[in-house]
Amino acid sequence: MGFLRKIRSIFYENWCGRCQIDMVTEHKKLYAMPDMTVGNYRSRRTPEYYRDHLVLVEDKSQIPAGMYACRMTASRCPECGYHKVRLEVFLPVRDQEKREESFYFDKGELDSFIRKNSR
Amino acid sequence: MNHETLKKMNPLYFLSYILIPAAVTAVCFWLGYTFFHDGGAGAAILFMGPSFLSILWWAFGGKLLFKAKRKKLIREFQNSGFRPDQTFDSDFCTVLVDMEQGRLGLIFFWNPFKNYILPAARITKIWTDDGKTGAGVLAGSSRVSFLFLIDGIRIRVNTFTSNKRWRMDTEYILTGISKADLMADVLTKAKERSV
Repeated sequence: MGFLRKIRSIFYENWCGRCQIDMVTEHKKLYAMPDMTVGNYRSRRTPEYYRDHLVLVEDKSQIPAGMYACRMTASRCPECGYHKVRLEVFLPVRDQEKREESFYFDKGELDSFIRKNSR
Repeated sequence: MNHETLKKMNPLYFLSYILIPAAVTAVCFWLGYTFFHDGGAGAAILFMGPSFLSILWWAFGGKLLFKAKRKKLIREFQNSGFRPDQTFDSDFCTVLVDMEQGRLGLIFFWNPFKNYILPAARITKIWTDDGKTGAGVLAGSSRVSFLFLIDGIRIRVNTFTSNKRWRMDTEYILTGISKADLMADVLTKAKERSV
């Protein structure tokens, strides 16, 4: 069973890979990416880019047509305290989403940004 | 800024584009048959040359001409004091939009010698077409476009076309719909700001 849980932790995004338990979601917000529009997407993997360019929105209806969005989810393991931030970049198209990519930051690169947007 | 009625197609250019190379090829075939009946270099040139050049013209000539005229439109648009905030190029039409001043620049593939720079207030209707046909799991599309009416003339600009039919949740269709929605919003804003 331990082996299966380890395999599952690879595919199940909100699992702590060390403790094999669900992580607690501390912050989940939607952001618009005003300088990324349809047809002009460039993959960015540096935390500085997201700190400087994300604009907090309440929901998808506030994002203009053709503009990319980013769903930011910060999670913490209640056992070991492991903390990671997942960024999911997608293009909202009417009632659907065109997924672009997802990646993680787990060294606290976006902690100050999250604190600023949690108020 | 011109106030002429829009013409999407120049019939003379359209007919010349298709018929002149065909006519030249036919004449060369006749000349080859008449004067080089026994073959030889002359026959080879008259039979092969014009037909090859005609095919090149039909395949590439129109596109190259349209590309050159498109650049001229952009220059003219900027020289008129407008800034193209958004430009959309499709195979048969290019649309430039200055949202702040509410101006449009248009050029059509089948009328490349005529640039249109006009106020967006002349647009009477704007909409998108996702090309969806079928229902349920069979729903799909092979074309997505944004359309607008100027002086009663419907202009369709394709954001995605294919010779295949794609499901509505594939990335090609979603990208096409997003581009069409974006351009529809841009045209709407330009129309609101136009005098």
